[in-house]
Amino acid sequence: MIGFIQNLIDALSLGGLYALTALGIGLLFGILRLINLAHGDLISVAAYALIVPSVDVTARMFIGDFNILFLLPSIALIVILLALATDLMAFRPLRKATTPTLMIASFAVSYIIQNGILMIYGSRPKAINLWGAANQQIQVGDLRVPLLQVITVVVTIALMVGLSLFLSKTRYGVQMRAAAEDFRMAQYLGVKGNFVIGIAFAISGILAAAVGLLYVTQSGSLSHTMGVPLALFAFVAVVVGGMGSLPGAVVGGFAIGFVVTMLQAYLPPDLRVFRDAFAFAIVILVLLFRPQGLIPARNVIERV
Amino acid sequence: MDRILSNIRTLQTPVLLIVLLAIVSGLASLTGSDAMATTIAEMMIRVVVVVGLYVFIGNSGIISFGHISFMCIGAYAAAWMTAAPTFKQIMLGGLPAWLQTEQYPFLVAMAFAAVLPAIVGLALGGAITRLGGIACSIATFAFLMITNSVYANWDSVTAGVSSIIGIPTLVGPWVAWVFAGVAILAAWFYQISRHGLMLRATRDDPVAAQASGINLVKARLGAFVLSAALVGLGGGLYAQFLGILTVDPFYLGLTFITLAMLVVGGMSSLTGAVIGVIGVTIIVELLRMFERGSMGPITLPPGSQELGLGILMALILVLRPTGLSGGRELKLFGRSRPAAPAAPEAAQAAPAE
Amino acid sequence: MALLDVSDIHVRYGDMVALRGLSLKVEEGEVVCIIGPNGAGKSTTLAAIAGGVRPYRGEIRYDGQPILGTPPDKIATMGVSLVPEGRHIFGSLTVAENLIIGAYMRKDKAEVARDRERILALLPRLAERIDFPAGRLSGGEQQMLAVARAVMTRPKLLLVDEPSLGLAPKIVDQIYEILLELRKTEGLTLVINEQSSNRVLKFADRVNVLRQGEIRLAGTAAELADGAAIRQAYFGFEHGAQPAPAMQTPTQASTGGAA
Repeated sequence: MIGFIQNLIDALSLGGLYALTALGIGLLFGILRLINLAHGDLISVAAYALIVPSVDVTARMFIGDFNILFLLPSIALIVILLALATDLMAFRPLRKATTPTLMIASFAVSYIIQNGILMIYGSRPKAINLWGAANQQIQVGDLRVPLLQVITVVVTIALMVGLSLFLSKTRYGVQMRAAAEDFRMAQYLGVKGNFVIGIAFAISGILAAAVGLLYVTQSGSLSHTMGVPLALFAFVAVVVGGMGSLPGAVVGGFAIGFVVTMLQAYLPPDLRVFRDAFAFAIVILVLLFRPQGLIPARNVIERV
Repeated sequence: MDRILSNIRTLQTPVLLIVLLAIVSGLASLTGSDAMATTIAEMMIRVVVVVGLYVFIGNSGIISFGHISFMCIGAYAAAWMTAAPTFKQIMLGGLPAWLQTEQYPFLVAMAFAAVLPAIVGLALGGAITRLGGIACSIATFAFLMITNSVYANWDSVTAGVSSIIGIPTLVGPWVAWVFAGVAILAAWFYQISRHGLMLRATRDDPVAAQASGINLVKARLGAFVLSAALVGLGGGLYAQFLGILTVDPFYLGLTFITLAMLVVGGMSSLTGAVIGVIGVTIIVELLRMFERGSMGPITLPPGSQELGLGILMALILVLRPTGLSGGRELKLFGRSRPAAPAAPEAAQAAPAE
Repeated sequence: MALLDVSDIHVRYGDMVALRGLSLKVEEGEVVCIIGPNGAGKSTTLAAIAGGVRPYRGEIRYDGQPILGTPPDKIATMGVSLVPEGRHIFGSLTVAENLIIGAYMRKDKAEVARDRERILALLPRLAERIDFPAGRLSGGEQQMLAVARAVMTRPKLLLVDEPSLGLAPKIVDQIYEILLELRKTEGLTLVINEQSSNRVLKFADRVNVLRQGEIRLAGTAAELADGAAIRQAYFGFEHGAQPAPAMQTPTQASTGGAA
């Protein structure tokens, strides 16, 4: 029983990371029909931005040594700027392109960012210790819960609440929801398309920054592809939850976190290594049997 | 006479492409360097893979992110057939006896490298080609992840994270060229067949094509299986070119490079597929030389090659979405007119772009 | 000077020609109707004016300024609002949010609140459902919301694409009442697309018949009142040369190709 609860907490915090990543991907998909494969690389950049740019094997902290009150906005700003730059240079010229073309473009962006990191920071993974204190455990009865997991869950909830308040209570939030549902109609009503898209990219940047910091605190290492697996699972989450639906992205994120953790815990050992294969098989099954996902979006993604 | 002319018209594009590859290969071999021979062999193998990719993507208009899986499956199929039995008995205990104890000839291995992916392609394609374009693309992406995870962890048949060694290296530039030619001809004959034309019709206007009685799923599935076979063949060649095999290369990086080649060349024509491979290979090689500092005063930092490729692809997508070929086929003469009754094949050969 | 001056615009979707050299002038305060069969290019015309479709040739001037190539959001801020065919309300947003969306670009916040009250007074059905997701409204209510939402942008020129599509005649009457009421109180200039002429002749100042991407007939409502010329332009053959059944108004069932 304790074991199960322990797993559940693992699932919750892993699911939180997936949910935040999935929100970043889902937000852009909703508005732009862009499946942003480069989102994971924004996460990597958030982590790399902590250290002094150099190809040395040992990482020296740069922004990572700042007071947290400066650290958070600095990292967020860097990632936001990068996200906006990807929009400006790659996606904005492709506004009329089809989803697969956008997907290829985001693939190119991802490739560029990854190799950019490689050029600046070198190819070898680096050890990094951010907020080491967060890795201590809290004892609750028989349960030992890593503090970081609690922080992850709290941050996830806080960001989700913040995002949903933004979307429901602010003018830009309402415009963004309108644009996500019917981009052209929103433009006919004077909603500035590129501006709203810019906000969406900025929000996806903030989400990526949060995930990057939480993830690097937990993993303690940097590598130029560190964000990729997160983005891939988040992508699964987006499909499972319902493409274009933000509640779907959250539910999907937690569902994938749960499935992955439980497969890891309860699959027989010789099948455990195929965990990822099972997770991605779920994607194909969902597409085949419930293409609208767990929580369908309002708008029809694809006719025909 | 008319008939001969029309045959020449029909076949000029694939023949020209094959000759073009021979010229590139011949020019490169003039340098006499081993490194160049390796580059050319690899380029020819990529022609097989990208042409295979083109058969599905170009004709159906659906982007697949999963075809490198077929390359992986084909490469391992070839390795299973040709690696030294002593190695297979020790390391690959999960293989059936007929694979474990025997070593098959090259051509048999290549056939297996095409057939096994085709079977997998038939099973997968049967399920996912009925999905809409985006969903189908996503499913192929998931398929890449699945194959990677399975092949990286199924120790008893793939040696897991360690590598399969002792595969005879029989593939050099000219052997690979022959297979590139085979792939180009296969793609061409598919493209001008009734089946290929129907699929291209569904690409250009799915609703109208279906309304005129074309079975969308069947048309897509045929292309999917053929393309899986060709890409698998490319994988088989790759295994017998390297002589040693791991799962690592068959993942996002190679998916990106092959897609980049197709995009740069132009994904809606066979000429685009071939030109894309040649063009990207040349650019990447140039950047690589700059990185090594063998191009005089300018030395680029490592990673420039990949960065350059990414930027090139983004630029092509934005500035010339139809790629270098502009969606047209390479032709010397005979702008074929659909109305010309004397040359029906030629008329079919020129898709309305 | 005409408020809207469309001259010789050509639009193509791939190989399909939608508009071939269409010209249209609309004076301030007028109600202009465009009628024509399905696929004639009516929706394309309105979309081109609103900036949603870009003609490859021709010119569009609004209030004296060339607007061809201006993005739709910019054109909206200049005072052009489109109620598209099929309404396109934001189904997951509430009625209130749908209304306010169009008013975000306005600076006169006090006026916005007053407009909202006035419109809701005209449309009590919407006022009752103000916090409902708009997707749960009936078809007629959605059409009214679409009109109301467009009006909230305070347009000078309102483009309405087939307001009667798929609605019961009684509801259509109501919608036209509201449109005409708004014209009176707000001084709106209206361009309305319809498939059939029987309703529009009653209140339009001028009528244009569009077929196969071209204006085949234009005139004041009075000039065209007996309908014979309209029928001829509409169907493209001499009136009387064909038997009566061909006279049926195209049904709403066929929606393809009207873009």
